[in-house]
Amino acid sequence: MFVPVLLFYLIFRYAPIGGLVIAFKDYNFYDGILNSPWVGFHYFDVLFQDARTLEIIRNTLVLSLLSLLVGFPIPIILAIMLNEVRNMAFKRTVQTIVYMPHFLSWVIIAMLVSTAFAMENGMVNRIVEGITGQAYPFMYEKMSWVAIFIGSGVWKDMGFNAIIYLAALAGINPSLYEAAGMDGASKMRQIWHITLPGIRPTIILLMILSMGRVMEVGFDQVFMLQNSNVNQIADVISTYIYRIGLQGAQFSLTTAMGLFESLVAFILVFSANYIARKFGEGLW
Amino acid sequence: MRDSRGEKLFYIFNYVLLALISLSCILPLLNVVALSLSGADAVVSGRVTLWPVDFSFSSFKSLFTGTPIMRSFWNSLQITLIGTGLSMLVTIMAAYPLSRRQFYSRRFFTMAMVFTMIFNGGLIPTYLVVQNLGLVNSYGALWLPGLVSTYNMLLMRSAFEQLPGEVDEAAKIDGCGEVGILMRIVLPLSKPMLATLALFYGVGYWNSFMSVMIYINDTAKYNMTVLVQNMIKSTSVIQDFADPTMMASMTPEGIRSAAVIVMIVPILAVYPLLQKYFVKGVMLGSIKG
Repeated sequence: MFVPVLLFYLIFRYAPIGGLVIAFKDYNFYDGILNSPWVGFHYFDVLFQDARTLEIIRNTLVLSLLSLLVGFPIPIILAIMLNEVRNMAFKRTVQTIVYMPHFLSWVIIAMLVSTAFAMENGMVNRIVEGITGQAYPFMYEKMSWVAIFIGSGVWKDMGFNAIIYLAALAGINPSLYEAAGMDGASKMRQIWHITLPGIRPTIILLMILSMGRVMEVGFDQVFMLQNSNVNQIADVISTYIYRIGLQGAQFSLTTAMGLFESLVAFILVFSANYIARKFGEGLW
Repeated sequence: MRDSRGEKLFYIFNYVLLALISLSCILPLLNVVALSLSGADAVVSGRVTLWPVDFSFSSFKSLFTGTPIMRSFWNSLQITLIGTGLSMLVTIMAAYPLSRRQFYSRRFFTMAMVFTMIFNGGLIPTYLVVQNLGLVNSYGALWLPGLVSTYNMLLMRSAFEQLPGEVDEAAKIDGCGEVGILMRIVLPLSKPMLATLALFYGVGYWNSFMSVMIYINDTAKYNMTVLVQNMIKSTSVIQDFADPTMMASMTPEGIRSAAVIVMIVPILAVYPLLQKYFVKGVMLGSIKG
């Protein structure tokens, strides 16, 4: 029963890890992975001396760190807000609605975004035009594009990510709130001193897990929202690997880039866990 | 207990903000529904907001007759149903042994699988493996490389572990084998988790984009995500297929909106049925870590 599982992990998870050797080889189709000539760190030198690839690494870091910075606290706030709702019908309705965008593909979300922010007839721009008298090219200006990129990611997943925090919130002893209320603690104080410490382990756990994703900005999201006006800021590692690697057949060069990406992610997870362990909340 | 003034203010603020957040999730969808059901003139002149103007089905008509959307719909359905079935089967085959205490070296195997979550070969080496197996341009390339999601497998394993051990001891005494225990006791008791993971896998396959774009070259095998993306990127995809006499009564926006609706409807159809399960499923997995 376990054999197919082992085969799956060996072929589709561990064989590609072995395939990473082509980052140190001059891969060509005729010699294959094993017989292509070794070139050592040649491709890493190429990557780190090219201004364009450095820019791509920078873009990846900027977009993902901003997404993390904005996107991480919002589900926590949303969960706390939902937890304070006492009308159950309202709570259920809001939950059903905010979970939903998580299940839509980026093709759909990109379409919704471009419809809403379109220069002509976009809902947002009609409001902007009403106020300033002029439409704003949201999708084509770098700053507003980044804001839309971050915002759309937050919009898609805030509700869904709040589920885990809601589970953690359900585990807090309600008598703590009663006692605090008796002592005259305001709502905000109760949230600060009871709710947040109560879900601290969950927050740290999810923080560690999200560190592992810092180096990967989802391919779909960037690919769908990208346009030539914002390429300078919007080209990231995953789109680079797709374009140069698969379409341009530069397998060794882009595998080196992928290996770099994986290594940094690996180091980030381990350091996040190391720091968390200092506070007694490590993942392992 | 009566609320103080500050608390009342807090609650009002809370309700209003939550209502606004919900609206932000619904309004864009309503806008697209309205665009897809409006007449071409109304769409072009930008008179459509949240309610269809000059109500008409012409966008849907052009979509169904003028583009290969139906074919890609069936492709998506096939990819999703078979893929979800295969993934569920193998995930169960992984999670069940790992949840059994008798299974020798289960800790080693778990660690080896978890390792692939934080370190993997990446796109190019995976592509080379798939290519060497001769899977390019077949749906096998969509199903096999993503057969098991380690995260889902861990969720299922912890659901299995939480079942009371006495039940399967009783079953064993009654002469039930391992497969019997799995089929007759463990799986029926784990329905919320099974429903949750089927939804996750199903949505993943339904929305799959990058893998289709990478591995499938034959446009007749495209799923809806890729087809709709191509329609959005270039209007010519629509024009190639459309009947010239129909061009007057349609707009690219209208057709795209209709296509988006066709993509969303199956998700919206199963989502409410599965919601109570997936909330339970996600929570179950999260607390155990």
